[in-house]
Amino acid sequence: MQPHKLLKPGLYSARSSDGSRTSARLKGGRCRCGYVFFPMQTYGCERCGSHGDALTPCELSAHGTLLAEATVHLHADKNRPAPFTIVKVALDDGPVIRTLLAEDSAPVAPGQRVTGRLAAIGQNESGETVLDLRFCIAS
Amino acid sequence: MTRSLNDLRPVYVVGIGWHRYQNPSETPYVELGLTAIRAALADARIEWPAVESTYVATALLGMASGRPMLRHLGATGAPLMHVENASASGSTAFRHACIEVASGISDVALAVGVDKRNPVRRPDTGIGNLAEDAIVPFTHFALLTNEYAVRHNASTEDIARVAVKNHRNGAKNPNAQRQQERTLDEVLGGKRVSGSLTSLQCTPIGEGAAAVIVASEDGIRRLGVDAGRAIRTTASVGRSERVYPPGAGFDAALTKETADLALAQAKLTPKDLDIIELHDAFTVEELHYIESIGLCPEGHGVRMLKDGALDIGGQCAINPSGGLIAMGHPIGPTGIGQIGEIVMQLRGEAGPRQHGGARIGLAHMVGVGAVCYVHILQR
Repeated sequence: MQPHKLLKPGLYSARSSDGSRTSARLKGGRCRCGYVFFPMQTYGCERCGSHGDALTPCELSAHGTLLAEATVHLHADKNRPAPFTIVKVALDDGPVIRTLLAEDSAPVAPGQRVTGRLAAIGQNESGETVLDLRFCIAS
Repeated sequence: MTRSLNDLRPVYVVGIGWHRYQNPSETPYVELGLTAIRAALADARIEWPAVESTYVATALLGMASGRPMLRHLGATGAPLMHVENASASGSTAFRHACIEVASGISDVALAVGVDKRNPVRRPDTGIGNLAEDAIVPFTHFALLTNEYAVRHNASTEDIARVAVKNHRNGAKNPNAQRQQERTLDEVLGGKRVSGSLTSLQCTPIGEGAAAVIVASEDGIRRLGVDAGRAIRTTASVGRSERVYPPGAGFDAALTKETADLALAQAKLTPKDLDIIELHDAFTVEELHYIESIGLCPEGHGVRMLKDGALDIGGQCAINPSGGLIAMGHPIGPTGIGQIGEIVMQLRGEAGPRQHGGARIGLAHMVGVGAVCYVHILQR
């Protein structure tokens, strides 16, 4: 595999590679009260208010079920040229997250099984391939 | 033992006023705000020095915008404060003006909302996110639209009918930003924004001002205000988002708990409501919120809409002002403008958009972040 760099290494890690696509794990957290959240933070638990040692990092599977999708036709930010598709995913490990659908994904619909992978989104100045999380239909 | 607004002394809306909501213009905010305040003073038939306290709702003007506006009414030295609570800024200002009067600290208070459409700056929490820059409010609600449509088997056309009704109401409102009736084809055929949302199903970007004056019975007597046109605030509730079960829509859940508390405070049921002004920034929200408030079971909103039950003259007129979709949503003014619309309706002064026999109205706003405010007014 070519040298690569994660766009947001604080949020996810690369797990394994099967050539063009890399599986991802999400960097979530778990509170002593049992609440699982994403992303990891140490400010305090949204459910019970515990902080510090009560919150520990917890790797989350990137597998989940699609709750909703929306293809964005208008977007003011030039760094995100439309159209692109946003998905809302209930992760198997609990948290609900929203992010981008992979550009080469087939159309998705609520109820479908989806999975997050690390997809190449471009190159940085050092010539490394930059990877970011994108969802697609689970294989 | 804590108390609700209803346990304190009665508080009434005695004056309402607007500067029309409009497309962004060169008009300074000072002129927008003063127009609304002077209209509210004239409506109450009182003079500015009678106002003992002012709450300025604004989200986008910047720090300390109130005094450079209020000084042109004659600097009385009365206290003023600024309220920023996202879309619910105006509702929050109204709540605190009511609390101040109900508590006995003042007899007469003003809530004024004014905004120009400046760029929105959100705080940096220091916590990363996957793609929040790609998910602006209309995409948040496009996702909810997709969920609602699939869960309740509602078509794109069904949901878009909310916009047809609200544009029809707005066409009769001289203070509305959009005053044009639209057919279902026009709504569906407009510019595609996000998901199935088209531009006429989304609130427009705009500016404007709204003002309401609230007073106690002592204030009404002392100033000789026409008590026959005073409308009592019988419930005021503010809430913020909790942790809901995974996948539950927080917008609807937060609205439900806030509306339930307000109805209990006023000792009313959803069936008692003649009018609701609610946060319809995007069409699907109106269906979500009438169901959350309890007008009908979840998923039955489309049927009520198609039956005309939500029209002016129907079972419960929803957004007779035109709502955020047609009247507009200049942010700071919006929640205060809702109160003004309900007061106009309960007085029977709403002219061509009057909902006959209206006695009880509910105002609802959510603000991103997320907060929810509900007020009930009664004749």
